Amino acid sequence: MWGYLRIALLFILGCTTATRGGEEPSELHFCLHGEPKTFNPILVDDEASENIRYLTGGVLIRVNRQTQAMEPGLAESWKVSKDGRTITFQLRKGLYFSDGTPFSSEDVAHTMRSLMDPQTHSATGDAFRSGPGTIEVQTPSADVVVVRFPAPVAGLERLFDQVAILSSKSPKKEMSVLGPYYVSEYKAGSYVLLRRNPNYWKHDARGNPLPYIEIIRLDIQRNRDIELMRFRRGELQLINRVDAEQFERLQKENPAVARNAGTGLDGEEMWFNQTSSPTLQEYKRKWFQQTEFRRAVSMAINRVDLSRVVFDGFATPAFGPVSPSNQFWFNSSLPAPKHDLQGAQALLSRAGFRLEGGNLKDPAGNRVEFTLITNSGNTAREKMATMIQQDLAELGISMKVVTLDFPSLIERITRTFDYDACLLGLVNTDLDPNGQLTVWLSSGENHQWNPNEKTPATAWEAEIDRLMREQASLSNEKLRKAKFDRVQEIVAEQQPFIYLVNKNALSAVSAEVVGASPVALNPQVFWNIDTLRLNNSREVGAKQ
Amino acid sequence: MIHWIRKLGQKFALLTALAIVGALLCATMIRFAPGYGMDERELNPGLSQVSRDAIRSEYGTGESLISYYDHYLRSLLHGDLGTSVFLRRPVTELLKERAPLTAKTVSLGLLTAWIAASGLALLTIRFPSWILGHSATTLTGLLIALPTAVIALVFVLLRAPVFLGIAVVTFPKLFRYQQNLLAQAHAQPFVFAAQARGLTRNRILFRHVVPSVWPMLVALLGVSSSMAFGAAIPLEALSDSSGVGQLAWQAALNRDLPLLTSITLFVTLVTVGVNFVADATQERRL
Amino acid sequence: MTQRVFRTICCGILGTVFVVGLFAQGFTHYPYALQFREFPNAAPSSMHLLGTDGLGRDFFARVIYGTRVSLLLAPAAALLATAIAAVLGGVAGLRGGWLETLILATADLSMSLPLLFVLIALRAFLPLDVSPVLSVVATFVTLGLLGWPSSLRLVCAASRNLRQSDHLLLARATGYSNSQMLFRQVIPHLRPIFLAQFWISIPLFILTEATLSMLGLGVMEPLPSWGNLLRGSEDFSAMSANPWRLVPLFLLVLTVICFQFVLPSSEELT
Repeated sequence: MWGYLRIALLFILGCTTATRGGEEPSELHFCLHGEPKTFNPILVDDEASENIRYLTGGVLIRVNRQTQAMEPGLAESWKVSKDGRTITFQLRKGLYFSDGTPFSSEDVAHTMRSLMDPQTHSATGDAFRSGPGTIEVQTPSADVVVVRFPAPVAGLERLFDQVAILSSKSPKKEMSVLGPYYVSEYKAGSYVLLRRNPNYWKHDARGNPLPYIEIIRLDIQRNRDIELMRFRRGELQLINRVDAEQFERLQKENPAVARNAGTGLDGEEMWFNQTSSPTLQEYKRKWFQQTEFRRAVSMAINRVDLSRVVFDGFATPAFGPVSPSNQFWFNSSLPAPKHDLQGAQALLSRAGFRLEGGNLKDPAGNRVEFTLITNSGNTAREKMATMIQQDLAELGISMKVVTLDFPSLIERITRTFDYDACLLGLVNTDLDPNGQLTVWLSSGENHQWNPNEKTPATAWEAEIDRLMREQASLSNEKLRKAKFDRVQEIVAEQQPFIYLVNKNALSAVSAEVVGASPVALNPQVFWNIDTLRLNNSREVGAKQ
Repeated sequence: MIHWIRKLGQKFALLTALAIVGALLCATMIRFAPGYGMDERELNPGLSQVSRDAIRSEYGTGESLISYYDHYLRSLLHGDLGTSVFLRRPVTELLKERAPLTAKTVSLGLLTAWIAASGLALLTIRFPSWILGHSATTLTGLLIALPTAVIALVFVLLRAPVFLGIAVVTFPKLFRYQQNLLAQAHAQPFVFAAQARGLTRNRILFRHVVPSVWPMLVALLGVSSSMAFGAAIPLEALSDSSGVGQLAWQAALNRDLPLLTSITLFVTLVTVGVNFVADATQERRL
Repeated sequence: MTQRVFRTICCGILGTVFVVGLFAQGFTHYPYALQFREFPNAAPSSMHLLGTDGLGRDFFARVIYGTRVSLLLAPAAALLATAIAAVLGGVAGLRGGWLETLILATADLSMSLPLLFVLIALRAFLPLDVSPVLSVVATFVTLGLLGWPSSLRLVCAASRNLRQSDHLLLARATGYSNSQMLFRQVIPHLRPIFLAQFWISIPLFILTEATLSMLGLGVMEPLPSWGNLLRGSEDFSAMSANPWRLVPLFLLVLTVICFQFVLPSSEELT
């Protein structure tokens, strides 16, 4: 009996040792800044869900966040037809979803049909809707898919970076995935736990299966101060986006963890209300519709100060809709924004404005004063608005700053148009300007300064309409770029949006994380999640 | 007995009526407040017109208020509190998940605040000294002046439970009311008479002073439950504790009509219910 | 004696703070809005006694100009809220019956409703270019009008208690009208409750004003108030790096404590 007991004891000890391996499974711990609204990748429209989609979704083509080039994903190769309407994918063979269901062309067809279903309303699907009509998906074999669109889709290939493939057969539906991780647990309001996908198709150069890290725990944490506190305590290993003020302090405390990936895609901008809304006084509308007025305001704003004071130097002055970090689409020939008070005063004089007792007045004698609205709770924006207030005071312009809660602000800028000027941020997730058609087309809902125009109100808006429609119908990227470069030039001349700064992509990465190389594109830190490692932990597949 | 049953029935009917009125008033306020029906997804330039229209229809802005009332009351009779527009989940499910945490937090916070406030107030009356009195005033002055956000973060920093934050927010108010009430009662002529008769200070305090302010203390209990729940909302939101308070905060920011209406129903039930119990206790005593 | 000394000292402190706030331009030559952009977040120095804020504005100037808004308007709003609670609670307790039920139900409902939307609606009704003074006054009046429910039950319970008391019966017998009974008998008797309510409301309204600026109400930039100066106080690392930023909090605590010592105590009122 004692012999059996000894064997049992040894067995138990052995199992424990084997299981432990002397270490816990590796767990990466960071935060989502909101509750994920869905785990269905085709319905994603919020940041938290998008992050989960990135971590769990398998895509046909992946845009490498570092090089901004396209790379094969689930598709080994692809070909776009000359007319830009058809794309043919050659899929990888022998792949399986996280629950063991085999992957085939039928899954891609199912995903595309679900995405393009008229009842599905998402930005991902809408990006493919280039014209009326339905898409056709053919699956000539288990590893070939042909997708045909009713009209050419500009930048077609890049759009597939957002399309995570769903299984057509798995009983787990969208929870069965092809990405590096799958959702193992979800506690509403608290956390999402992801576990390594045992069937993930990627391997490293030595043939080890990826990803290296076994578990990712995503806490739902809205409060950035608490997030930073937890990072400092070592409870979190990374923060995907850090604001400038926190970054500066972090950098002083521990430079190694504070990572600055340079100019990001996001920016801040303001614009004037040029609509024919009855709530906007006619004399104000006249000011806002004058190019000289807008350009004078633009010249009076000291963007260098904004970058330095509000963002602690972690921002660059902006003069156009495209950030310099968008390597292909940025128009480098645009003039750098200048802070020139005398130039601004000259422009205003030319337009008939004059200074009287320190107050600027229009030709009709109205004092130039207006209100700038922005959303409350964003300290950086409130500071920028206050600095712009002082800059414009030097021209004799009186600007009031009013912060509003976001829904009230949206109502004013999209429905009632009861505002003078607005300051908001640009969050760019898409490199391709085609994703902003509704901003540039004068009939667009997001043509913020004067949305839903029946016909272009000005010649330059008509020109932008023409250029944007033309570039949307072309498949040659160089030709598209030339047209969009001209759009950027017109915008710089006319200043319908007064671009202020492009913020740097700032993040925090603990020394525990190996292989992190933060970039400007989202997700900044964990874009290469499958090759990240944690120091001093047992990671599956990692070289021991 | 019949009288009590009838009274109870009346109270229950009033409680239900008030809760429903509260929920409908809340719905009216949200429906007509600026920003209702606005969704930040509309600022996404990637959305088509059809998708935008679908987003707008989620808010039911085309529905009249009367038909909303009708729809809400009918659903309420079936136990259906609607679906959260913001979180896209049934409200009943959300409340079931989060209510126990908030109930526990608020109850513990309130209990702690009452013990601390009553204890300190009784101490200052029982052992009147300028050091104790002025120290208590200074402490409560400090606590009442602290922003809730600071309190929330201190407790996160100390890894202390949220209920202590509720206690810290509620304690100075409770103390101030209690101390004033007890001090006023202690200065009444009957106390001097009792002292002249040789009664001990403890006896006077616990057998005469406290009972004389008992109705007000009971009323304070009802008020303090509203204070505690009011404190729970920002505290849970700021410390990311997944209770009803955090849900209410998110719902308010996002104008989530079904969720806010149901939370108001729940809060009104609790607030009015506690106050009714307090009133009933006073009536029995009188 | 000690109480008198404390009271005198506190009166002196409150008076000083009040005078400094009222005659701010005599105590600092910097305007509260002027940005010294070369020196954001500067430490205290001979040039800037309390350093500068994130936009390079002199922090000492902002604190003392901010005193005007906070110290003048918050007590006024607190007084308004207390007065409304006094009248409504007194009437409810004295009359009883359906009137008491109605008033208490209204108070309970007010405490349960998200009055945030009332404030949002107020912002919508005010024009965007409303003057800062009007915006601030409207905010504090609104706070006063919405701040009464929390003490109403206490007032009602206390006046209900008094309803059958001897001196009220005597007053009724001598022919006092209802309003005379309310204002001459009931309300004076309930002063300890009103004092508590008043004292609690002052810091609450000062801090609430800062939260309201997130709805477009309250004090707008660049006008300072203690509330908006304290808005960043939850960022501990910022506060520990710039501890002088806690001066408004210190002033708020000091003012609240001084008010408590200056106001008559319950024993004195009895």
